[in-house]
Amino acid sequence: MTRSRIDLQDLLFGLFLVAVATGTLVATRNLTVGHAADMGPGYMPRVVALALMAFGVFFTGRGLWRAGRGIAPVQLRPLLAILASVGVFALTAERLGLAIASVAAVMLASVATREGRLVETVAFAVVLSGAAVLLFVKLLGLPIPIWPR
Amino acid sequence: MELFDNLLMGLSTALQLNNLIFCLIGVVIGTAIGVLPGIGPIPTVALLLPFTFGLSPASAMIMLAGIFYGAQYGGSTTAILVNVPGETSSVVTCIDGHEMAKQGRAGTALAIAAIASFFAGTMATIVIAVLSVPLSVLALKFTAVEYFSLLVLGLIAAVVLAHGSVAKSLAMVLLGLLLGLVGIDVSSGVARMTFGIAALSDGLDFVPIAMGLFGLGEIIANLERPAERRVVSQSIRSLIPSWTDLRAAFPAVVRGTALGSVLGVLPGGGAALPPFSSYALEKKLARDPSRFGKGAIEGVAGPEAANNAGAQTSFIPLLTLGIPANALMALMIGALMMQGIQPGPQIMTEQPKLVWGVIASMWVGNLMLLVINLPLIGLWVSMLKIPYRLLFPAIVLFCCIGTYGIANSLFNVWLMMGCALIGYFFIKIGVEPAPLLLGLVLGPQLEENFRRAMLIADGDFTVFLSRPISAVILAVVAALLLAMLSPAILRTRKEALAE
Repeated sequence: MTRSRIDLQDLLFGLFLVAVATGTLVATRNLTVGHAADMGPGYMPRVVALALMAFGVFFTGRGLWRAGRGIAPVQLRPLLAILASVGVFALTAERLGLAIASVAAVMLASVATREGRLVETVAFAVVLSGAAVLLFVKLLGLPIPIWPR
Repeated sequence: MELFDNLLMGLSTALQLNNLIFCLIGVVIGTAIGVLPGIGPIPTVALLLPFTFGLSPASAMIMLAGIFYGAQYGGSTTAILVNVPGETSSVVTCIDGHEMAKQGRAGTALAIAAIASFFAGTMATIVIAVLSVPLSVLALKFTAVEYFSLLVLGLIAAVVLAHGSVAKSLAMVLLGLLLGLVGIDVSSGVARMTFGIAALSDGLDFVPIAMGLFGLGEIIANLERPAERRVVSQSIRSLIPSWTDLRAAFPAVVRGTALGSVLGVLPGGGAALPPFSSYALEKKLARDPSRFGKGAIEGVAGPEAANNAGAQTSFIPLLTLGIPANALMALMIGALMMQGIQPGPQIMTEQPKLVWGVIASMWVGNLMLLVINLPLIGLWVSMLKIPYRLLFPAIVLFCCIGTYGIANSLFNVWLMMGCALIGYFFIKIGVEPAPLLLGLVLGPQLEENFRRAMLIADGDFTVFLSRPISAVILAVVAALLLAMLSPAILRTRKEALAE
């Protein structure tokens, strides 16, 4: 880990919290707040959001104020591959069926590492897909199509 | 003897054939994920939750509990043979356990670890049984006011005692609470923060969140590190420890069990704290501390006993008060709620068969684990040879299918994807995600009890202080928070957690 003049970890966490709190306050601006004896639906979200805002401001301030650890560089390959794998599963599972969605998800996830070999990955994806169909659809009765409709 | 009646009732539940089978499934899966580094019990339990719908509540809890304590057994195998902790709880076992393996005493180390675990598991089962009755009697006096204070205590204590920055963890609890508020407000029927998405009106499912934050986020971060070569160091010769080994290990096992039982009950004590404390204690008590780190048998026996005892006694707050001690227990609460059982102080009186069945099953499960882990050790060792490049795509796939299965909704899969990104972000900025899960699961209960308390007291906040039980609980909360501000305690805490 590199040292840096600002505490990037604190700063990012603080900004994240401020963003979430702001988003909440905007999203719940039309809900009635009420008062303690008779709380409206907006009471708790507002209380929690304000507390989050306080924490967010605190961490942002502390992050700017003191030196701290930097962040290890982000490697895009594993991040994107795993997210894409889940995304592909979500896009294809109900339309193309579990068998195809599983193969696609496993193959995409395998891209996350450079160690993979194509033949091995394909074979493994097919085997896993078969196992998933057997286990989840046949054995556990998950209501999901196996093949494209 | 009420205690024996209860335990017998529990055994009669635990020994039913189907419950025995689910207990076995639980501990086998637990051992497997314990042996494999990179998969923890949290995503595994989250993954299996959707499929416990069809089971009876007792079977479901018995199986899920088995995964948790089974993982503690499996984790030590990897620690001893490969010097990689299979679970966070077995980090300490690496130190002396692997050293013993290098000296050709892998079999002895494995055997001592398993025996220590079994002893601790048995004793912890008794501790749970003894402590549960008085706690549940106390719990019956609770109204919404006391329960709210208790929930606050559970959350704060879990944060203070777990590792990581306290302020950040508190912020994470709040974040979890906020996520728990999403959905239709129960008392007014108004949609809150649903952004017009129909799937959100019932609130956020915690399973996709848990899998995204803990399972997938962790995988992405793991893949960034250079691949480690895992080589099983050597063959295991004799599994039977010598008499001298047993005699050397026994006092450490007893001390570890006692320490682990106490620390496990504390919220946040869960998995990491007991083995570390036990190792430190053994090193302090030893006549020749320099042996530690060079294959001291006490350094394996003590922490192993402590981590199993701790894993089991962390069920006490859950089973008696309905308060989760750590993120995994929060998932257990979720499992109960999915079964239509409201967790809370009344659970012991309303569901005695369930509670005592789970308690008794732990002992049964520990017995199974002893058999699964010692004679069948070769099987688990061969599992270690599965390379990570094959393992992680399989986990990703099973997470996808499991998340889909919880409500047959693709929305949850997308939610999991978002949480994977956020989980990765949290790992990058060094924030522990566990408190978020606690907040998420407890959030709805916290709000409901707060509202009820406010209705009872007509909006008077002092009600939390004017009722004696509630006042005591909140005083403990205040003491905990104040203690965190004191620099001396802060320093010892840092040392204790860093060791």
